[in-house]
Amino acid sequence: MQLEQLIRERRSIRKYNNLPVSQDLIIKLLQQAERLCSYDGEARWRYVYVGTPEARERLADYMVEKLQDNKIVKLVLSKVTDALHKRVLEVPASLIVIAKTDSNPIIHDQTYGAVCRIMQNLQLLGWEERIGMVWITDPMIQNERFYKRIGLQEGERFVGIVQMGYFDKAPKGRSRTPAERNWTEFVWNER
Amino acid sequence: MKLMVRSNEWISNRQWDMSPVPQALILELLNHAVWAPNHRNREPWRFIYISRNNTGGLDFIQAQAPGYLIITMNNENDANKQNENLAAVFCLIQNFRLLAWEQKLGANVCFYEWMYDRRNCQQLGVMDKERIVAVLEVGFCNESSAVVPTSSAAVLNWRSL
Ligand SMILES: Cc1cc2nc3c(=O)[nH]c(=O)nc-3n(C[C@H](O)[C@H](O)[C@H](O)COP(=O)(O)O)c2cc1C
Repeated sequence: MQLEQLIRERRSIRKYNNLPVSQDLIIKLLQQAERLCSYDGEARWRYVYVGTPEARERLADYMVEKLQDNKIVKLVLSKVTDALHKRVLEVPASLIVIAKTDSNPIIHDQTYGAVCRIMQNLQLLGWEERIGMVWITDPMIQNERFYKRIGLQEGERFVGIVQMGYFDKAPKGRSRTPAERNWTEFVWNER
Repeated sequence: MKLMVRSNEWISNRQWDMSPVPQALILELLNHAVWAPNHRNREPWRFIYISRNNTGGLDFIQAQAPGYLIITMNNENDANKQNENLAAVFCLIQNFRLLAWEQKLGANVCFYEWMYDRRNCQQLGVMDKERIVAVLEVGFCNESSAVVPTSSAAVLNWRSL
């Protein structure tokens, strides 16, 4: 597949089939994703992998835990949280991505930028193997309780969860705005 | 060639061939790169291109590369949305880099202190509700320039939940 085609045809995949995802393959994809990033210095990010049935169960619990805290939500929305729990449980594999923060804005942004670029490489590399992925940053999971559960340390930030699995159907892509419409050429006029 | 077997040799940093980079090429690559994942299709990015011979009055830019592709983003009040937007822009940047490389076009992702200075932003026409995410220094790579593999990335910092 041509690179342009790969970049244009990759879709975020939220529904997977039952084929198991091999942890070794994910590690290989991730290593190549890092290699194709070319960043300065050492890696300032880490990954927590969720692949076994037990770990998947735990992650699903953590993700809905905060919702169940609220008695009203628990009562009224128990169907919703149950459905959510089930959906998370069905995800064949997830990668929790964590990066270091820094008081220097340049290092802070550089680190976040590198790990985000690695995640894009990973999604493209996955697509080549017919593994679909979606990057999740749902506000529902962005709370101290969840961070504690996944072991986020002081001086670290949560980047997201990348859910992954093989799939039967890809959704149609939503079109993008032509780059020309967001393009300005800066021209220097001697005044 | 599959991305999986592509080598990690990136053309060495500042060994530019100083010929100008055709804007049409940059736009062509950007039109593929905008297929980056971005939450709720906000497409938070905007592009400002400065070729080397237009850097005249911008004393904060050291005109060393043939072109500067400045990528800006709309700011969000909500911290989570802000991070999602940043992430989307970096996905676009990575797409661009991968595509550029196939054209022997180098695109270094650069961060400078001046990016965080409002006055410099204003000079470039970056609006108040925007910020600069990164500067891509673009230029064709000299055939003679050294090819250096970067970030060997052998060991992942990895554990299981
Ligand atoms: C940083 C980031 C966060 C995202 N968060 C979510 C999310 O929380 N839930 C979700 O369903 N999709 C999420 N997405 C996926 C986007 O919604 C998706 O990229 C967009 O709809 C465009 O579709 P495409 O990726 O198929 O081109 C996220 C994407 C990015 C880059």
